[in-house]
Amino acid sequence: MADSRPVSDDSGPTSQPTAGGSADSEDEPLLVVDELQTTFYTDKETIRAVDGVSLDIEAGETVGLVGESGSGKSVTARSILGLIDDPGRVEGGSIRFDGHELTDGSWEQHRGDLSIVFQDPINSMNPVYTVGNQIREALRIHQGLRGQEAREEAISLLEAVGIPDAPRRLEEYPHQYSGGMRQRAVIAIALACDPNLLVCDEPTTALDVTIQAQILELLDDLQREEDLGILFITHDMGVIEEIADRVNVMYAGEIVETAPADRLFDEPQHPYTRGLLASIPGRTAEGDELPTIGGEVPTPTSEPDECRFAPRCPAAFDACERIHPEHVDVSSVGTAGVETTDGMSGAEGTRGMEHTAACLLHEDRFEQSPGAATFEANGGDSQ
Amino acid sequence: MKRLKYVLKRVLMAFPVLWLGTSMTWYVIYQGPVDPATNLLSSQERLTEAKVEAAREQLGLNRPPLEHYVDWTSSLFVLDLGQTWLIYPGSNVGALVVDFLPRTVWLGFWSVLIAVFVGIPLGFYAGVRSNTVADYIASISGIVWRAMPNFWLAVILLSLLVGSESLLGFDWDTLLVDLPSGVTGNPGLSYMAGDPLALFTQPGETLAAIKKILPAALVLGSASMGNEMRIGRTAVLETKNEQYVDFARAKGVSNRAIVWKHVFRNALIPLVPIVTTEAFLLIGGSVLVESVFGINGMGKLFFDAAIQGDLPLVGSLMFVFIVLLLVINIVQDILYTLIDPRVGYDAN
Repeated sequence: MADSRPVSDDSGPTSQPTAGGSADSEDEPLLVVDELQTTFYTDKETIRAVDGVSLDIEAGETVGLVGESGSGKSVTARSILGLIDDPGRVEGGSIRFDGHELTDGSWEQHRGDLSIVFQDPINSMNPVYTVGNQIREALRIHQGLRGQEAREEAISLLEAVGIPDAPRRLEEYPHQYSGGMRQRAVIAIALACDPNLLVCDEPTTALDVTIQAQILELLDDLQREEDLGILFITHDMGVIEEIADRVNVMYAGEIVETAPADRLFDEPQHPYTRGLLASIPGRTAEGDELPTIGGEVPTPTSEPDECRFAPRCPAAFDACERIHPEHVDVSSVGTAGVETTDGMSGAEGTRGMEHTAACLLHEDRFEQSPGAATFEANGGDSQ
Repeated sequence: MKRLKYVLKRVLMAFPVLWLGTSMTWYVIYQGPVDPATNLLSSQERLTEAKVEAAREQLGLNRPPLEHYVDWTSSLFVLDLGQTWLIYPGSNVGALVVDFLPRTVWLGFWSVLIAVFVGIPLGFYAGVRSNTVADYIASISGIVWRAMPNFWLAVILLSLLVGSESLLGFDWDTLLVDLPSGVTGNPGLSYMAGDPLALFTQPGETLAAIKKILPAALVLGSASMGNEMRIGRTAVLETKNEQYVDFARAKGVSNRAIVWKHVFRNALIPLVPIVTTEAFLLIGGSVLVESVFGINGMGKLFFDAAIQGDLPLVGSLMFVFIVLLLVINIVQDILYTLIDPRVGYDAN
């Protein structure tokens, strides 16, 4: 049974040195999220919107977080930023930024170091203040700039995000901008905070495809110039393929697969990831119906003792209903033709592993399961 | 420049409304069921056809309607308001309006002000601290204020203040400013006649006039105060959950700046039409409160004139009310453009 215990049981947050973190931060990634738990308490039920999410982001790296609507992506983003309001609470796990623990309420000291870009740019800006006012507000708080100095910096920020005629645009209100310009302005405000980490919560979803490409290019440029770490959240696999270095696939509050982007697209190991990839338009043969994953994301309300994807999984077998799968290293699966690897030793955890998936199909003891054969046969597409 | 053009356009657009309103008033009185001529006569005289006809002739009601209408409206628009028929018969309508209007405007002004400066801050406070004990206390008192009927509250407050020495332990009449005429009666505004600046140069008189009107204004504004409190609370709650507030928080804006800069101004937007609509209701609907507090204001005058069919007086008062309403509307439009930049000057 030792193999099936959660990874974090052995490398939980308490075992990580957090005090005097700056000394530690040299070999630690910019952001380390470990076994994050965010729960919402309503009158009817408790919703475990984020249920044991672990991920990390290096400086200058773009990490993707993908999943369907309702899988907990945005709540993860808001948890990292410390924006969870009642009736929600960050209940467990740790978020270490630059070696500093944030979950003990020290978000306020790191405001601006972590910045966010939301999905809908028109709602991200206050409608009654000029764009310039909102950029200067951030400049005053984080860079101590006022008056003419702040104005000049604001102009150069607007120019940096590709807004023409910046001095005039500065005095305009958000509603006078077009959709793409708005998102550029929001990015300018986020950059005015001088962040090290930018969380992008579906920043291109509300934009049309040409603008989307421009914004992605802009983020890419900015990342190179400022050595930004980016957490990029989206449900658009095409966007992820374009921008992310590594990808985390999220389902019902949990991360089910983590892999470098190209490997994830070439060798997806979790049935859910396969389903997601199969449902990208244009990848199926012409005339074929686009495969979909039937059903909806369940709302996680209790501690999992099963695989939450099992009811929708084409490869599910009876053990999936009884055992909650843990992340196993699947780095060598696929290319070498090896079906499974030895389970990892708990003490090492998943850190340092390139490609992990939380699926019983990849655990040794279910090698001979009847489901695996079906799964391999139809390539993970749902019926 | 853009703003001036916008305001001028609003003023021009007000004229058709003014004309339509006065025309409808004329129509209702002239063609309506009330016959001013019979009201002019005693019950004995009403029985004789000849007397009624004479009265109609005297009031000019026997003229062709269109002629009467054109004559009446055109003199109204050059502010020749004529003489009353039935109320204070034969007095100059202009003089009556100048005499009665300031009291009502004074009452309306203070009741709007009290409602705005008590209701809105209380509502915002409750919204910022939603679901705390403070919020519950503020919300419940808002509902209670909203629910108390004017006439009842007026009588209760009046009796409290008249008996303040024995009931409350202090004498209202001599508290801070001396009111020799007691709680009820007209506020002394005559000191401002011909010199509006006296409002500031004679603060003693002004204070006395404010103190005199305060109980009536509180009663008249009570319902609006409750309304504004409730709507202010909702507006803050809605604004608090906007994404730009989260974005500001992520930017590191302090809680204080979030409330005062980002939430406050946005929450004011839905309150502007509420306040201006109520301002007109207060000025027009003060009959009950004026009666209880013995204030000779426009509310009572208008009511009497309308019941009796005193066309010159009703028409003139209606004219004044419509002008007031239009001015309040223009003020509202200007307020909108000041608070919300999305309200365009050149919007069609």
